[in-house]
Amino acid sequence: MANISINFCPADGYQFRADEGICIHCGFNRANKVLAQNHNVNNKNPWRKLLWVKQEYPDNHVDSSFLEELQKNANLRTYDYWTVVMESGVISQHISSIVIFIAVFIYLYLDMLSAQNLIVIGTIFTSIGYIFWDLSILKTDPSYEYTRRQTAKGAILFFATLLGLSPILKTLTKDTSSDTIWALTVILFLANMLFHDYGSGNRTNIKFPGSLSTNAAIFASVLLASRLPSNSHVFGLMSFAVEWFALFPIFRRYTKSLSANFNVALTCLLFFLATALFLRISKAIVILYIFGNTFITFCCPFWLIWIQKYKNEIHGPWDEARPKLQHTRSAADE
Amino acid sequence: MGGVESHLYQLSQRLIQRGHKVIIITHSYGNRTGIRYLTNGLKVYYVPHMVIYSEATLPTIYGFFPIFRNIVLREKIDIVHGHQAFSSLCHEAILHARTMGMKACFTDHSLFGFADASSILTNKLLKFSLSDIDHVICVSHTSKENTVLRAALNPRIVSVIPNAVVASQFKPDPGAQDQNSITIVVASRLVYRKGMDLLVAAIPRICQNHAKVRFIIGGDGPKRIDLEQMREKYLLHDRIELLGPVMQHEVKNVLTKGQIFLNTSLTEAFCIGIVEAACCGLLVVSTKVGGVPEVLPRHMIIFAKPEEDDLVNAVSKAIKMIRLKEVVPTKFHDEIKEMYSWVNVACRTEKVYDTIWQMKTPPLMERLRRYYGCGVWAGKIFCVLVAIDYLIWMFLEWVAPREDIEIAPAFPYQKYRKMCQMAEKDEDDN
Repeated sequence: MANISINFCPADGYQFRADEGICIHCGFNRANKVLAQNHNVNNKNPWRKLLWVKQEYPDNHVDSSFLEELQKNANLRTYDYWTVVMESGVISQHISSIVIFIAVFIYLYLDMLSAQNLIVIGTIFTSIGYIFWDLSILKTDPSYEYTRRQTAKGAILFFATLLGLSPILKTLTKDTSSDTIWALTVILFLANMLFHDYGSGNRTNIKFPGSLSTNAAIFASVLLASRLPSNSHVFGLMSFAVEWFALFPIFRRYTKSLSANFNVALTCLLFFLATALFLRISKAIVILYIFGNTFITFCCPFWLIWIQKYKNEIHGPWDEARPKLQHTRSAADE
Repeated sequence: MGGVESHLYQLSQRLIQRGHKVIIITHSYGNRTGIRYLTNGLKVYYVPHMVIYSEATLPTIYGFFPIFRNIVLREKIDIVHGHQAFSSLCHEAILHARTMGMKACFTDHSLFGFADASSILTNKLLKFSLSDIDHVICVSHTSKENTVLRAALNPRIVSVIPNAVVASQFKPDPGAQDQNSITIVVASRLVYRKGMDLLVAAIPRICQNHAKVRFIIGGDGPKRIDLEQMREKYLLHDRIELLGPVMQHEVKNVLTKGQIFLNTSLTEAFCIGIVEAACCGLLVVSTKVGGVPEVLPRHMIIFAKPEEDDLVNAVSKAIKMIRLKEVVPTKFHDEIKEMYSWVNVACRTEKVYDTIWQMKTPPLMERLRRYYGCGVWAGKIFCVLVAIDYLIWMFLEWVAPREDIEIAPAFPYQKYRKMCQMAEKDEDDN
């Protein structure tokens, strides 16, 4: 037994020189190992997860260390119920905004709301929203002041163009039958809902988040506009659509980053507005809407938390590594 | 020739030398079709098959069965050994072989994650063909863990048999090295998975820190443009040599020019490249991913995390070691020769064949039971596929009976070898 000599370090394979006692890489003591080996009942070296060394184990040996490096659900996030409920607000807000838009269209269509009123209300709220936005941006970024003029110019130009295009938009899909229009609108609003950018991450680099969703909504409004009786109606609906689907989500995202309480208030406000508007149109839809919203806000978070116990994500040494580059440094160099 | 192809060729050659009969079935490559004989009577069938994209074939499941049955019957095959999880031909061959009651074995050469759509799909496919397999061979312990998880296998039927190198082809050549500077060699496909982004980021920093360091980069791929742009941007034309595609037999000449080999792979089941490099007498610097830590002893390799900073540090450490002559990499050759030889691989593979040869062939019912356990929906679909395969087999047995299939004459291995020896002798005499 005494003449067993260890020529390689078992931990990292370092080859010992004749006079060396300790591995320079890991500090493994050669002398200890000889003692330990004498105590080993089977007199077998422990199995090592190495390929270059010939071992006394069969090729299909399964060691106790098998799958030791397996990590299960390494980046699991446990959710708090009420946090998820709060976060689900963005979805119910968006659904409410679609419902409100449809209600506004029906009001226009049934002549319960005049086009002038809609334009006035839209303009007032957009202006209030812009002033609010302007004031809060100014606090963080004073240079913003100079873009005001440009914004105003752009807005006037845009709405003037829209006004000019109204007769064209009105007749664009006039020949298509109403059934087709309703069906297409439903599909487009569903697309708008599905592709809307609900995320709350930083999107300074993306100029128009969720452009597919916005386009779907605008297209739907163009289709709906063809059912309206006059050019001013078309202009009213289209300008409202632009304000509602392009500008309002930006505002909502902004308020969400400002204050959680305000966001909850906005969610409730939109919810009640949608309910109130649809009460005069259809009670069944109101009930459906309330149930749907309750489900999304209160049941789905519970569902998500419950289903998490089935989450089984595995990571291990076989995963493709993500290269880490020093981007900030190289950017500073240039 | 990649790792898998050379593995097939070398393993077959050793098995033939050990007295087995080996044939290879693959799909046709361009005008390379039909049956061809390689060195020592290794017979290769190039099956006509539609290639869709970069030498991958369209999975047809049953289209390959008649020709496959014909080949295995006329060659009197006992064991079917499939290679590579990506190959649909391999999965089909295993399925048909099992249907025909032959033994099947599978070698996995790559690692897969569990997260993205393509690996989920391949894993499902792997689970299907490995539900009824006799034995699986993996090239590293990490690869074994991966395969066991992916295909839900019993780890006892998975053996680890590493790849090997033909040491005589990778002899160190100290004369080829540039004595005035330290040369770092990179030889791999220039693709994302080989960590080319890391390389592009690290090279300028290494060149900045060490004045007498040169790079030789062999290989081709989509990331070559990035490397060229980097060279352009930092004006390193005199210090970075981009060789473009390198033929297999030229790899050795490229490797021996350097003192350090750099591997930046992001995922690697075995990485034959670093073994070849060490065999050529190069100190290896590699990212510590996948099976790489198992491959070489610590005095031959310096590990780095797949991070730019750590990689630069590791290369600097290697340069220092070479400069101060702390290591003598040319001695690695003899050590590697002992560690990885194809004879050893063939012996171990033979052992696997012996064990599966003694296993009983399960009846159809048992096979269906195994497939049924694959999943709620998948299990049923798999059962249907296997049942249809069985019916097709029965149909083929009826349409083209076994007795009518002509048996191919066995290649006279003994005679061939004797003639080769005689020819060599003649040459020597002349």
